[in-house]
Amino acid sequence: MKIQKSLDKLKDILSADRQAQLKKYKSLKKVLKLLRIEKKGLEKKLSDATDEETRQEISSSLKVISMQRKKGLRVLRELKEEQKRNK
Amino acid sequence: MLRKTFLPAIFLLLAYGFTVSADFKIITAGVAIFLFGMLSLEEGFKTFTAGTLEKILKASTNNVAKSMTFGIVATSIMQSSSLVSVITISFLSSGLLELASGIGIIFGANLGTTTGAWLVAGFGFKVDLSAYAMPMLVFGIILVFQQAKSLKGAGYVLAGVGFLFLGIHYMKEGFDSFGQTINLANYTMTGYPGILVFTGIGVAATVVMQSSHATLILILAALATQQISYENALALAIGSNIGTTVTAIIGSLGSNTDGRRLALAHLVFNVVTGLIAIAGIYQLMVAVEWMSAHIGIAADNYTLQLAVFHSLFNLIGIIVMLPLLRPLVRFVEKMIVAEQAAIEKPKYLSDASLEIRDAAIEAVEKESIRLYDLATNIITDGLSIQRDALESEEKLKYVLKASTDVIDEDIDDLYERKLKALYGAIVEYVIRSRGGYAKGRMKEELTGLRQAGQHVIEAVKGVKHLRKNLIKSLQSDDSVVRKEYDRLRKLVLKIMRDIEVVRTTGIDSESVLPLDRLKLEIEEKTRQFSEGLDTLIRKERIDVHTATSLMNDISYCRDICWDLVEAGSVLFSESLPDERDAMRSIALGEDEIVEMMSTADEKAAR
Repeated sequence: MKIQKSLDKLKDILSADRQAQLKKYKSLKKVLKLLRIEKKGLEKKLSDATDEETRQEISSSLKVISMQRKKGLRVLRELKEEQKRNK
Repeated sequence: MLRKTFLPAIFLLLAYGFTVSADFKIITAGVAIFLFGMLSLEEGFKTFTAGTLEKILKASTNNVAKSMTFGIVATSIMQSSSLVSVITISFLSSGLLELASGIGIIFGANLGTTTGAWLVAGFGFKVDLSAYAMPMLVFGIILVFQQAKSLKGAGYVLAGVGFLFLGIHYMKEGFDSFGQTINLANYTMTGYPGILVFTGIGVAATVVMQSSHATLILILAALATQQISYENALALAIGSNIGTTVTAIIGSLGSNTDGRRLALAHLVFNVVTGLIAIAGIYQLMVAVEWMSAHIGIAADNYTLQLAVFHSLFNLIGIIVMLPLLRPLVRFVEKMIVAEQAAIEKPKYLSDASLEIRDAAIEAVEKESIRLYDLATNIITDGLSIQRDALESEEKLKYVLKASTDVIDEDIDDLYERKLKALYGAIVEYVIRSRGGYAKGRMKEELTGLRQAGQHVIEAVKGVKHLRKNLIKSLQSDDSVVRKEYDRLRKLVLKIMRDIEVVRTTGIDSESVLPLDRLKLEIEEKTRQFSEGLDTLIRKERIDVHTATSLMNDISYCRDICWDLVEAGSVLFSESLPDERDAMRSIALGEDEIVEMMSTADEKAAR
């Protein structure tokens, strides 16, 4: 098992395509993480906000972030599957 | 400094003139109407540019002999060389004629105009321009209101000629008192001093009356009543021939380079012809006598002999100048240099960076941002909003309150000169990058930037459409319609401002994909506009025709905003390339935004 894992790592290092894929995967994960942080921050802001207009604005932003995360997670899943297929 | 003070100085001078003399008022009004006629004529001919008139003109003016014949026939029929030269300038300005052909027409017009002297001397015939002007204006304006392009064009031409006639009429009316007070009998002089003085008087009188025809009528009347000598009358005729070019020069003021070149060629031709006539006046008199005897004109019939003289010296002028036509064209082209339309040139795209990946991408990115900035200026102009409103922090409603006047910019021209040329250069550069074989990241980046440029172009095109009804709404008293268009303007301006905020603060400072939020806002707002419109129709506060226009304009507004956001999301994403790719892969498209809104609606319905 350990040998298999080490071989996979070596393959990743040697293949340019797999390198690119990996980079893409990592970047997407990073962006999704940023979105999650942003979402949490907005949720806190929403609970603190009293002005109706601000609340509505934050709600809209939250809706958009949810949709972006949903899309992002789908793309991430697809990338993962692609990585598995290439192994 | 001179430019800034010129217009106020002219205004003051005119205002002073108006208070001092009633005649001056009529004369200047005549000039204004004349120039307006010129504009109307140009508008009319532009409508015909791709149509039948172009073919007729091309067939009748494709060589100098034909253009000269056209000039002779047209001037003989219309009895005004000034009008023919003015029309020729319009043809030239509209690109219907080449300069050489235009000069050919002017040569012909000079000969054609001499038929006037023949008609007046022979039959006492005189065309009353104002009698033609009124019906021309009435028919012309009715035609201008027609839907068919050809009828509209014909209307502009007819109204234009009508205004020209009316303008000349008013100029003549204004100078009538001058004409009555000039007593030519007091100036009878002999020899060359007399010839020179009377040539000068002829020039002055024609300049003042704006019609060589009118001067010629005066000369013939004076000659018939023997107030002036035959010799002096000939000099006056020469002078009137030179003076008539002033009309063409005034006509050329509102026209383009070719129009001004033609006016200069007209002046050169008439001055050269005049000089030849002055130099050989005694020989010409002998020739006239000989010719008159052969065609049966009595030796004492000086009026008809004047007509012979008039035709003869113009014919000599043509014979002399015709071989010099090409040098004349070259001369006027050299004297009046074509104004280069300020076409926007790329600042950052250089051949040196074509082969270097990062340099090429950066060059295209910078140039595309420049394209975006130029576009936002054109968009604010198009929406009649002050340009500084984009950077200011003033509330949008106050900005719109202050932006009630139409900004009179030629958006089509700005689009052609500034954006289209620059975008063309970007596209060409992208195609040429790496010998046309850019791959991988370079290809992706460049394609993205090219698409961003396309969005910028589309946004401006949308504004061009939106502007048509927007201008009408700004000029209308209907507050309901104005309010609706203000909402559209407000949305576009808000989107542009929000993009500017993202641009200055950077994408990942607080929000990862802030421009996606704008997409939702665009959809929500435009939906609100449409629903509001339905209410207005139901309450009969807006008619169906206006409502249809507004529906289209809401759609344009939506597209403009989307295009700006799409362009902004490519141009102002400052993160690292890999993260940028990741962000782009999860950025929401139109379908997803619409889907999101429908889901929200369904939830609300439950």
